[in-house]
Amino acid sequence: MSADVALEVKGLHTTLFLREGRVDVVRNVSFQLIDGETLALVGESGCGKTLTALSVIRLLPDPPARITAGQVLLDGSDISAVPEDTMRSLRGDTISMVFQEPLTSLDPVFTIGDQIEEAITAHRKVSRREARDMAVDILKEVQIPSPEQRLGDYPHQLSGGMRQRVMIAMALVLDPKVLIADEPTTALDVTIQAQILELIRAEQERRQLAVLLITHNLAVVSQVADRVAVMYAGEIVEEASASEIFANPRHPYTQGLLSSIPSAAGESRHLYTIPGRVPDPRLLPPACLFAPRCPYVISRCWQDHPALEASSGHLLRCWNPQPFTALRAVEPEVDRSVATSE
Amino acid sequence: MVLILAISSVVIFYALRSAPGGPSGGGVLSPLSSQEVRQAYEKRLGLDQPVYTQYFIYLSHIATGDLGTSLVNGTPITELLKTHARNSLILGLTALLISYLIAIPLGVLAAVKRNTWVDQLAMGGAILGMGIPNFWLALILVYFFSLRLGLLPSAGCCDPPQLIMPALVLAAEGTAVTTRMTRSSMLEHLRDDFVRALRAKGLPEWQVIIRHVLRNALIPIISLTGLRLGWLVGYALIVETIFRWPGVGYLLVDSVLRRDYPVAQFFSLLLIFFVLLANWFADIAYGLVNPRIRVA
Amino acid sequence: MADLTVLDEKAQWEARVERLWATRPSRWRDAWYELRRNKLAVAGSSIVVFFTLVAIVGPALAPYDYAKQVLSDALLPPLSKGHLLGTDELGRDLLSRLLLGIRISMIVGLGTTAIALSVGTVAGMLAGYYRGWVDRIINGFVELVWGFPLILIAVLLIGAIGPGLTGVVIAVGFVNWAGFARIVRGEVFALREKEFVAAARALGKGDLEIMARHLLPNVVGSALVMGSYYIAIAIIAEAGLSFIGMGAQPPLPSLGQMINEGSGYMLLNHWLSTIPGIVIVLLVLGLNVLGDGLRDVLDPRLKGVS
Repeated sequence: MSADVALEVKGLHTTLFLREGRVDVVRNVSFQLIDGETLALVGESGCGKTLTALSVIRLLPDPPARITAGQVLLDGSDISAVPEDTMRSLRGDTISMVFQEPLTSLDPVFTIGDQIEEAITAHRKVSRREARDMAVDILKEVQIPSPEQRLGDYPHQLSGGMRQRVMIAMALVLDPKVLIADEPTTALDVTIQAQILELIRAEQERRQLAVLLITHNLAVVSQVADRVAVMYAGEIVEEASASEIFANPRHPYTQGLLSSIPSAAGESRHLYTIPGRVPDPRLLPPACLFAPRCPYVISRCWQDHPALEASSGHLLRCWNPQPFTALRAVEPEVDRSVATSE
Repeated sequence: MVLILAISSVVIFYALRSAPGGPSGGGVLSPLSSQEVRQAYEKRLGLDQPVYTQYFIYLSHIATGDLGTSLVNGTPITELLKTHARNSLILGLTALLISYLIAIPLGVLAAVKRNTWVDQLAMGGAILGMGIPNFWLALILVYFFSLRLGLLPSAGCCDPPQLIMPALVLAAEGTAVTTRMTRSSMLEHLRDDFVRALRAKGLPEWQVIIRHVLRNALIPIISLTGLRLGWLVGYALIVETIFRWPGVGYLLVDSVLRRDYPVAQFFSLLLIFFVLLANWFADIAYGLVNPRIRVA
Repeated sequence: MADLTVLDEKAQWEARVERLWATRPSRWRDAWYELRRNKLAVAGSSIVVFFTLVAIVGPALAPYDYAKQVLSDALLPPLSKGHLLGTDELGRDLLSRLLLGIRISMIVGLGTTAIALSVGTVAGMLAGYYRGWVDRIINGFVELVWGFPLILIAVLLIGAIGPGLTGVVIAVGFVNWAGFARIVRGEVFALREKEFVAAARALGKGDLEIMARHLLPNVVGSALVMGSYYIAIAIIAEAGLSFIGMGAQPPLPSLGQMINEGSGYMLLNHWLSTIPGIVIVLLVLGLNVLGDGLRDVLDPRLKGVS
């Protein structure tokens, strides 16, 4: 495993400028993407993981969103503020992104062949024939059968899994250094999910890609991630290697996430759910953002905002971490008198 | 479609003949003509027979290719068809061309520069274009360009200068509506997911907009062309009348007012047929332009 | 003690969150508020309200009888003594005629649209809700009529029954209902699949009640937006037909008729045609702008879309 840092994010802040005021949605986020390694960015919907990804590749909807602080270092130089033209030449060539819904991510009125070739000719001066050949090659690589025929197909003629393969093909055809995958399997059937994840893993090995995987699904994480960063309300609250996170989660939120996975050999009959809701970004808790929902909360959590610190091999943002075995489902009180009166 | 035409023909036939006032025969008859003169005239033309008999006689004539002659000046309808239909087509197609050439770029621009002054101006113009009655616009244009400035002729056919004003007036409403539709269609598609994915591929912005978004946005517009043609037919009636452009519309209005039954009948059916055709075409076009339907 | 501090802080914060949530307005108040704020809607409705008032009380306040001819006073320009807007070629006061013309336009516009809206909404509702053969029949008619140019139908109809406002009203109503039916049908199609319909049925509610209480409020918005545009279309159609002599007959001063009468005098006395024209433009503009404003409010995704 090489130690080359492909992409480094330092202190990234992204803010939404709305009519009602400014809302910070990505707060002081830092991480590294390493060649040949997959970093999974995990969290519930609305925690800011997608916006983080969009910030890296500078595809934020502006208005209303903008990067307000921090750096994104690609091969050592900061791309967070370079002119759009420069950024455009990087996209698809050096940094690629794959999105969640493959059907709507492809233009319905163009054939896949056209769309792949377009990705190629946007960055390379090659003839139509050469582009076509490259397209066929990459389709073969992502294991799409009869690629020559597929070139003339329209997106709606392929299955969901095939479309996602096409998206991945388009993203990798120019051999980028970094691949960002935003929930690449969420819209797919479970059996297909495994295939796509396996494909990503294989491509990563072959090309020594640095992959940033965004997901809310811990099963996906366990299959492909080397490292995991957990996000909550715009902040990273814990980061560690995948095996460490699963074996020994230290942040109460991470523990809550892991406890909510139904396991085949379930002990309790009721699934644990983290009580409470994700905070409204307009009104955040004054100190630790997880305090209102935390089972280990102490008074310091309401007074001082915890910083991300190294702690037994993890990066952790918590004043009062406890060992994992503490969480169990709380059995709801059932009024038995009602049940028996029928 | 055939059924509709058949029903329409019957309806029109009866309607025209039951209208108050009889034919004027192009000046042969006037409201002051005596009963005998009128009866003689009607007998000669077979108008004294029961209406349904007249209808069948008419059908038999059509079957043999005899479309009849104008009651006003005796011109065979086939003649009228050639000249007037050609004139209407020239006017209509010119208007259609003008409106698309203006509306689509304007709509795209307004959508891309949404809420800027460009957008406000374009939309303001469009709303105005929809609101100005075309006959009034015609009068104003004639006032300026013919009466005051003497630049353009105010009536007649068929030189290019004579085509300019009628075509502009006819195009006005269509341009306005198409501009609005283009803008709204563009705005909708600018929000599609694939736009983000295209940008992620590193495509230049103009390519994203023109090659991809516009292509998607035009689908409903193209299929709307059929309906536009239908509406043009309606407006043409008025525009041709004002500018004395000898097209089918002018002929129809004139013949209805003068009770020129054969002419009115034939050309109203022709127009109805044309509108039905245009509507049908609109449906087909949508299927052709949208690959999801074409290659299902 | 540490526990109390925690609980206290938490309670305070949660109270603030609750207050934030409580400030959300209800749906209809939301709409009304938005409507008042939307510049287009305000501007448009002011114009429309103004013209409605004029239509109602105007002719009663007219300084002269609209049909009274005073040949010695013919063709006076605007701002002449006693005639604010001048007179036409027969010495009739333009202002008086204009006021009545506005009333005619408004009646035709509102009247036909009211009928078209009712018929169209009912038809669309039935077609969309019951589907099957009901839909096929109704939709068959709708599709047939919808693309047809108003003017063509009107000309033919008037050819049959003779010129006059009656023909105009029938023709306009005949074509315009289809537009409403189409929109309503489309919406009902979509709404029908939503859970609240299934829920209502499960509660045993009858079809009529579902249509009236659940579906109708949802389609009313779109119908109103369309209504605005269609009134404008009706007014222009009436003017156009009167212009070519097929609508209101003299001496009735339909705005279109007035423009026609004045067209022969364009060179020296253009106001005879320009003034009625400007009135039509303003009125139709007001209606279109109102329609846009309503659409912004009722379908905010399309905000900024004309």
